[in-house]
Amino acid sequence: MILPRFDVLVPNSVDEAFAMLSRYAEKGIRILAGGTDLLVDLRRPIIPAAIPSCEGCARHKSGSIRSTVDCGWWESDSSRESDRALLTKVQDSIHKYPEYIISLHKLKELRGIAVNEKVNLRVGAMTTITDIERSGIIREKWTALAEGADSLGSPLVRNRGTIGGNIANARPAADTFIPSVALGGVLDIHSEKGSRKVPVDSFASAPGETVMEKGEMITGIEYPAPPEFSGSAYYKLANRKALEICNVGVAVWIALEKPGGPVTDIRVALGAVGPTPILAESVKEVLVGKKPEDANIKKAAKAAREDATPIDDHRGSAWYRSMMVELVTDRMIRLAVERVGGKV
Amino acid sequence: MVREDLGLTGSKKGCGIGDCGACTMLVNGVATFSCMMLAIQADGCVVETVESLAENGKLNKLQQSFVDLGAIQCGYCTPGMLMTATELLRRNPHPSEKEIRLALSGNLCRCTGYQKIVDAIKAVAGE
Repeated sequence: MILPRFDVLVPNSVDEAFAMLSRYAEKGIRILAGGTDLLVDLRRPIIPAAIPSCEGCARHKSGSIRSTVDCGWWESDSSRESDRALLTKVQDSIHKYPEYIISLHKLKELRGIAVNEKVNLRVGAMTTITDIERSGIIREKWTALAEGADSLGSPLVRNRGTIGGNIANARPAADTFIPSVALGGVLDIHSEKGSRKVPVDSFASAPGETVMEKGEMITGIEYPAPPEFSGSAYYKLANRKALEICNVGVAVWIALEKPGGPVTDIRVALGAVGPTPILAESVKEVLVGKKPEDANIKKAAKAAREDATPIDDHRGSAWYRSMMVELVTDRMIRLAVERVGGKV
Repeated sequence: MVREDLGLTGSKKGCGIGDCGACTMLVNGVATFSCMMLAIQADGCVVETVESLAENGKLNKLQQSFVDLGAIQCGYCTPGMLMTATELLRRNPHPSEKEIRLALSGNLCRCTGYQKIVDAIKAVAGE
């Protein structure tokens, strides 16, 4: 559990950070924000997906050694030359640590919660999850985000973890990512060359993979001002109440014409039921223009279930997750409608 | 660094991956997993470890309460529990039981002696 060798860069300004990111882009550089993911991943003994087992060779009896990495049978057997290539590949992935870590802890300008004149919310990338959890304005107007922050990890994780890191890691169950999709968040991504804005719902492309390019960094995330008669809610369905990764996470943002009136817009984000957090588009088709009544909400929840693509894993089966998507979506739509001031 | 270079062995190393809370310290007053922090990130910060709690060589109220109420079994989680509780009590001198349990939800005790720990914090908070 010892950290591998790397050099740490500590920029004093964001411009210096962008310069460092592009200068070392080819050498392998990772951004250190709160460290609650990165420092874990760096310590974890990285086990390649496929280490071939030694099937028995001149030196070892079958099964007597755990992998060809320790065996080296090609040295005595030239027909095993292809294994050497395999070994090189395996060792590469073992040693594929970044050479540089860039720590953003001095960049105070990346931390903070602000509401601008258009009443849009801007959260700096280095804002901790605890800061979000304790922000009164976020709880009042962007409720789902506050509820995502509440349910992430444990208080100690929240004290260090940042929203930028949580989103950049692009895990399908990330507790601030899912509400950010529902709330229509837009990421500010900067590099030495310039900046661009990427909606959170099109940011992740696969688990841990994003549209970010080398040299780029998230500096903040902006959420549109909630219109009158809108509300949101997030629920994390998990086996424990703390230090847990969700089985199913659902965030709902809904806008109504008036309390109890027809739905003008709805965004439902589903977590842990696909390779990335999913924006359930078909819910919109089912519910917009209709009243938030029992039968309509049931139909909308079914539509969300159709949009989910869960898999079986140790946290739950695809069958269970699929049912829970429907149930939790149903409850979260009702809760969001109640928060607008209507009754279902 | 804290344990080996500074010789402050009060803080324990547990999981090393930000789950157990045994290594909790206060960094600028915020309860922090020290295993999730590089020493360079603490540059210029005030770091408090469990060694800072005793006053004039005597256990402070919270520590004494842990001893009096038997909130220690093997003791491995205790330094982390004390630091998390210290932060909670500074922020909120009279927390409810729910708030205490919530604050401790990132500190694991594998002896599972949570009830006594909550009691010990409540005893100090009730004063």
